[in-house]
Amino acid sequence: MSDQTPDNKLDRRRFLTVVGATGAGAAALSGCTTDRVQKLIPYMVGNEDQIPGIATYYASSCTECAAACGLHVRTREGRAVKLEGNPVHPVNRGTICSRGQAGLQGLYNPDRIAGPMARQADGTFKQIEWTEAITLLVTKLKAAPGRVAVLSGQAPGTFDTLLEGWTRAQQGTLTRWEPFGHEPLRLASQRVFGRDELPLHDFAAAKHIVSFGADFLETWHTPVEQQRGFAQSHGFTQGPTAKTVYVSPRMDLTGMNADAWVRVTPGTEAILALTMANIILSERNRAPADANGLRGMLGGYTAEKAAQQVGVTVDKIRQLAREFASAQPSLAVAGGVGTQHREALELCAAVHLLNYVAGNVGTTVKFGAGVTRGDGYAAIERLFGRFDKGEVAVLLVHDANPLYALPKSGQFAERFAKVGFKVSTAAVMDETAMASDLVLPSLHPLERWDDIRPRAGVLGLMQPVMEPVFAGRHTGDVLLQTGKQLGGTAASVATATDYKTYLQNAWALEAKRRRAADAVQFWRDALQRGGLFDVASPSAPVRLSATAQLTKAVGATFDGDGAYTLIAAPTLTMSDGRGANRPWLLELSDPVTKITWWHWAEVHPETAKELDVREGEILELTTPHGTIKAPVYIYPGIHPGAIAVPLGWGHTAYGRYAQDRGANVLDLLGAQDGNGFLPYQSTKVSARPTGEYRQVGKTEGNNRQLGRGIAEMMPVEAAVKGLSLRQFYEQEGHAEHEVNTEREQGAIEGFRESQLEQRKRGGYAEEHPQWGMTVDLSRCTGCSACVTACYAENNLPTVGEEEIYRGREMTWIRIERFWEGGEREGEPLEARFVPMMCQHCDNAPCEPVCPVYAAYHTVDGLNGQVYNRCVGTRYCGNNCPYKVRYFNWYAYNKKAFPEPLNLQLNPDVTVRGRGVMEKCTMCVHRIRGAQHTAKLEDRALVDGEFTTACAQACPSGAITFGNVKDPASKVVAAARSPRGYHVFEELNVRPAVTYLAKVRHTEGQS
Amino acid sequence: MFTAVPKSTSLFGDQMRKLVLLGGGALVAIIAAVVLWRPSSAQTQDPVTVARTLTAADTAAFRGPTQPILFRHDLHAGQFKMQCQYCHYSANVSSEPGIPSMQTCMGCHLVIAGTDSTNQAEITKLRNAWRDRKPIEWNRIHFLARHVHFPHDRHIKALGATACATCHGDVTRMPQVFKVNNVTNMGFCITCHLERGVNRDCTACHY
Amino acid sequence: MATTAHESTQTHADVTRDVIGTLSAPGKGYYILLASVSTALLIGIITFIILLKDGLGHAGYNPPVMWSVFITTFVFWVGIGHAGTLISAILYLFRSPWRTVVYRATEAMTVFAVMTAALFPIVHIGRQWIFYWLLPYPNARFLWPNFKSPLVWDVFAISTYFTVSTTFLVFGLIPDVAAVRDHVTGWRKKVYGMLALGWKGTDEQWRHYSRAYLYLAALATPLVLSVHSVVSWDFAMGIIPGWHGTIFAPYFVAGAIYSGVGMVLTLLIPLRKALKLEHMITDYHFDNLGKLTLFVGCVLFYAYGMEYFVAWYSGNTFEQTTFWRRAFGPMWWAGWAMIINNAFVSQLLWSKRIRTNLTALFVISIFINIGMWFERYVIIVSSLGNDFDPWAWGVMTPTMYDWGILLGSFGWFGLWFTLFFKHFPIVAIQEVKEMIPMPRRKGAH
Repeated sequence: MSDQTPDNKLDRRRFLTVVGATGAGAAALSGCTTDRVQKLIPYMVGNEDQIPGIATYYASSCTECAAACGLHVRTREGRAVKLEGNPVHPVNRGTICSRGQAGLQGLYNPDRIAGPMARQADGTFKQIEWTEAITLLVTKLKAAPGRVAVLSGQAPGTFDTLLEGWTRAQQGTLTRWEPFGHEPLRLASQRVFGRDELPLHDFAAAKHIVSFGADFLETWHTPVEQQRGFAQSHGFTQGPTAKTVYVSPRMDLTGMNADAWVRVTPGTEAILALTMANIILSERNRAPADANGLRGMLGGYTAEKAAQQVGVTVDKIRQLAREFASAQPSLAVAGGVGTQHREALELCAAVHLLNYVAGNVGTTVKFGAGVTRGDGYAAIERLFGRFDKGEVAVLLVHDANPLYALPKSGQFAERFAKVGFKVSTAAVMDETAMASDLVLPSLHPLERWDDIRPRAGVLGLMQPVMEPVFAGRHTGDVLLQTGKQLGGTAASVATATDYKTYLQNAWALEAKRRRAADAVQFWRDALQRGGLFDVASPSAPVRLSATAQLTKAVGATFDGDGAYTLIAAPTLTMSDGRGANRPWLLELSDPVTKITWWHWAEVHPETAKELDVREGEILELTTPHGTIKAPVYIYPGIHPGAIAVPLGWGHTAYGRYAQDRGANVLDLLGAQDGNGFLPYQSTKVSARPTGEYRQVGKTEGNNRQLGRGIAEMMPVEAAVKGLSLRQFYEQEGHAEHEVNTEREQGAIEGFRESQLEQRKRGGYAEEHPQWGMTVDLSRCTGCSACVTACYAENNLPTVGEEEIYRGREMTWIRIERFWEGGEREGEPLEARFVPMMCQHCDNAPCEPVCPVYAAYHTVDGLNGQVYNRCVGTRYCGNNCPYKVRYFNWYAYNKKAFPEPLNLQLNPDVTVRGRGVMEKCTMCVHRIRGAQHTAKLEDRALVDGEFTTACAQACPSGAITFGNVKDPASKVVAAARSPRGYHVFEELNVRPAVTYLAKVRHTEGQS
Repeated sequence: MFTAVPKSTSLFGDQMRKLVLLGGGALVAIIAAVVLWRPSSAQTQDPVTVARTLTAADTAAFRGPTQPILFRHDLHAGQFKMQCQYCHYSANVSSEPGIPSMQTCMGCHLVIAGTDSTNQAEITKLRNAWRDRKPIEWNRIHFLARHVHFPHDRHIKALGATACATCHGDVTRMPQVFKVNNVTNMGFCITCHLERGVNRDCTACHY
Repeated sequence: MATTAHESTQTHADVTRDVIGTLSAPGKGYYILLASVSTALLIGIITFIILLKDGLGHAGYNPPVMWSVFITTFVFWVGIGHAGTLISAILYLFRSPWRTVVYRATEAMTVFAVMTAALFPIVHIGRQWIFYWLLPYPNARFLWPNFKSPLVWDVFAISTYFTVSTTFLVFGLIPDVAAVRDHVTGWRKKVYGMLALGWKGTDEQWRHYSRAYLYLAALATPLVLSVHSVVSWDFAMGIIPGWHGTIFAPYFVAGAIYSGVGMVLTLLIPLRKALKLEHMITDYHFDNLGKLTLFVGCVLFYAYGMEYFVAWYSGNTFEQTTFWRRAFGPMWWAGWAMIINNAFVSQLLWSKRIRTNLTALFVISIFINIGMWFERYVIIVSSLGNDFDPWAWGVMTPTMYDWGILLGSFGWFGLWFTLFFKHFPIVAIQEVKEMIPMPRRKGAH
């Protein structure tokens, strides 16, 4: 069976040897790579909180985006194997998104550098000793008093304090910067309410949601938290759901989940927002008294005028406004990167006003959490201005990659080069590091001590969950050491020998502030909890400030004279480009376009006809600022006058996975300030078909359901009445009429029963649990967090673009995205998501056809797949109606996990070799694990004591797993819903997975 | 018109007979072999007299691979009656038995230096390893394929005191541990599960 | 009414001489043929080794199409293997005289075709090195194959058919081999002697022989129907629209015979020329073969029509979509290749002129072979490509590796056949003789 167990497979046994050599780090890991471990290497000293074979969880915080969700890091034999949500963390409540989980591949990224790198005279990099590196840095700093600058992307926290002190000690300047800083929203808050911060939005409380291009399910603000809230208000329980309207020229994932998509002319959202505010204010005023001061300012924005500017009918605008005002409380959001055009500030201000007149500010829009995202783009421009003037001799770049995330047209690289001595703390040689003179690789957040304060009332902790994989050094320690060596004020800042102590001191103060009796205990509790979480996030009452009157909207201006507006679209997988070196995120098909491993250009079908291009034809996109090429993806969800290209691709460095993958849409943007922020949607683009082709690696076959009832939907009215799908269709008058007579019915029933005869024999007759699952499509947003969770939990290999072309992706759970309508003009376009995984049929077609019983039915209702018995006839794969069986055409496991990525492998799950079939097991290893524990403790399994990886990760809580034989279990309750249905029920395969039909507001779609 | 007259007059010439005999014989042999074959069941102990003093040189006489240090289970587990779990600390709490850390050995051998030259020689090896922070690389004896998940704790709970011996044999009488049962062979597991009438579901071990 | 045979002016001695003459030292052409089939086989072997090394990924599998060219070719060869037994056994029982000169060739073809087909299950599975897990054998793990699985039925069906058809061939050869034995010398004599099993043509032997032959024929007859029915169930037992049809067993058997006869024509027409057997294998025989072809061709025509009719009549959206896409989907060309080559081309055989025009017949037979390969290709690939879940739909494109294996299979088959007809009488001497009236004294009548 040697083929079953690839060289780089890490199972418990391998782990033991690895852990024995802990400290030696990666060197030892790359050692033993034989099929079977020939040597057993013991620990020198046993590790008391690690028992081999038992997972240890460490609480930590996620740093993949500024939302800073809480993590539970599962470690086995001293290796982090999975990132899961921290249930007590207020931001994510135990759930986690794809990008968060992929953080693990940042930790184990094979392209991390092994030590400090110094640029030689000839421009090449040479690895040097840490002491050497520190001394070099110190000498440079000594030589440049007052001419030091620091650029940091790390979120607020103790480290930030240290960094600030350290910089001040050298009369330097500290610039904090986050690529997706949402500056317009912050500036708008400043202008309208006089608060220099980002508000927090309570989506759970909202009864009506209007988003003006804020992709709150993808990259905007705190996606996971927002998704949870959205699922609560928009997901169906029994009452009416919160109608959601998406106002934007492009339908992104958030737009797909909205009940209506208002396709506006690019750059005109602000006009619409102000007009709505005006209508509300004039028609039915529930607004605070001081809002009346706005009447004059808003008066000009009439529905009629707006209609032709925005490209929406007058009635539509009125309807939008009225619905928004009538549902209380409602919520309007804006400021997404995709709609960050020159009028973004006005847009955000307008939306603030809209919320204010509708009386949402203070209820669904809360200020006072002091959420900031760095110092904003203006600060960046100031910083580079100082470079130009030659005021900076030494620059320290920490946790930021400006040379990638800033448009080329701004000559940032050239201006960066003017700095005498540039230091980067990147762990992977990214664009900025490549341009630096000294690289001091920092430790990954999972390897270091740190804390993070994303907002008032949330202080997350990070702790080393394992020995560093690569010999990096905590930048905090670097600061302290350099400080000591620099002496003077710098030394006085360095109040501790190492950063851990520094951090603990800071926390000791925190303990004192909170009057904790025992500082040590306080620290220990916080560490266990994952940080300090105050019950309610602070909310400060706000009033309109005078400057609110300045708000005005005329429609954004665009550079160039191209025929189309360029939308630089942020995507859930790539975000600001930080995920571009994570195989999981590259292989994860984009929730909107379902494309993997490469970038694309979204073109409306009409536009495609106009340009005479087909899918995959390469377009040459030109703006006044530059030119890139991108293969066409024909997408009905975009304004015919616009072309969207995703952000985050086209790295010129950043490791083997990211480098030269696609093109960077930022190259098409102008860098000039849209007063305080970078306008991502500010250019007109001309598109020229090149006639060259590049197949798009998309995982979609046919994106129409052909009326096969895979993704069912019922209008909210029907759902509220508690109609079943059948009843609903009958009411609609197109239920398939029953042609069978009574006797025939009896015969059919008898047949159905007889088919399950074998279920009454042998072990099957005994009392066993029956595992089942429900998926609530009214909650599922298609965010694909479950997919990544499955990759992480079940050791799924990434197969690469070439194999995706041939439909060979190994996603045990995939998100199918079907289109409804949108074929005729005016007919609304609707997207439906169905997570499709093995349905564990009770009468499974795959089982009888397997010649060797590799596919068989377990006594507890699972559709077992025994890899080591499989000979690979693939009949099961053919015979599966859901097409959820995946075959190892090559030894994917050998290619997918280059050292040390193999350390991420879950030791509880066999890594499949080539030539075997695999599929969703409903996390059978978790089931068996729980059963072992229960047996050892002589007790029965408790419902909810464990769940599958997908259910655990889902931020919307759409997936419920459990024992369907236990009447008290959650899954049974969920499955009882009248919305419940089985996909392809007519096949009589008896799936164990019940889907709950999606619920939509079908009234008054645009 | 047929010129040649073969010796035999029957339809089946004796060449054919030979063939039949050969083929048939082979077939019978194969079938017998297949049917009668069973996994190697527990063999009897080595008759090596368990003396207190054994030198590393003697190990050649024992079954099982020679270890870097002649660690004598027969002394530790046998004569000194140490519990298996004392060293294999996680066997009854985890799926993994746990390899004793060097610290565990040194816990005793800081003070216990051995009674005679041969023991002392072995213990010195241990102490040096501890001094040089070099873990001892024991030769592995029992393997399970990687697609098998064997929870030690469950089996110890189920089988009680004799649990370890069931698969690993009576190590208390082994100066040097050797493979008593072919645990790598699924037949070994199944036989036991059949005898005890316990779960034989594939996904009990394979997932 | 075997008039033609009677009119032939040959004597027994001529027959023996002519037939055994075919075994004379081969010429250049033969070696060229041998070389080319060997190369084909070699290519196949190399391809297989690469697949064995890296995995099946090289071949054109695009999920959801998890079976493609290999299974197609497998069914193709099993099909070829049918005409043999049909002609030799069934027509024997029906006492159809024209079979005599052709049945040896067709039987040999049968055996070699089945030998070729038998390789494919191994080539096609993911972990070739444990193919024997498909066989039931006692083992300490108490594991058995799943007798519910059509693939296991296949294993039995194929092996049974192979055993019987081989026995049939070898048994039928006995008297002829004896004849050869009597004409050769040296070590050859030993070898043929061994195979002749001491045959000396006594009446007693003849009595036993013809009895046994009759029984064997009776035994082989049902297999003609059973084997390909079982093969058809490989698909019919699946729930895939386009597979899940009750008509499949007869449909496949007809197809098998059709392709088999097609292959017989493809082989005999050149062979006849090469071995100068024109006066033995005459138009009369081809005419009859042509009629047989025409008949099964019509059965096939009906089956095709029925498939579409049932799909439409069922009102089942999955079935309907599948068959719509079979004709007008991304693989329309294959779909039409199948229908035209099989259903329509065979209709030409209504005309006796075409049936007796060897060139035309040869061309038609080639069309038939191609068409029948495509039939399996369409049934397998296009049905799998668009079944229940539209999201998972995909189109499969074969690669060099698929063609390599296909070529190899022809090489393997060709090698055996080429060797066979140079070492054994390709025409059954004894039965031809039976057709010839006892020689009379000169000047009689």
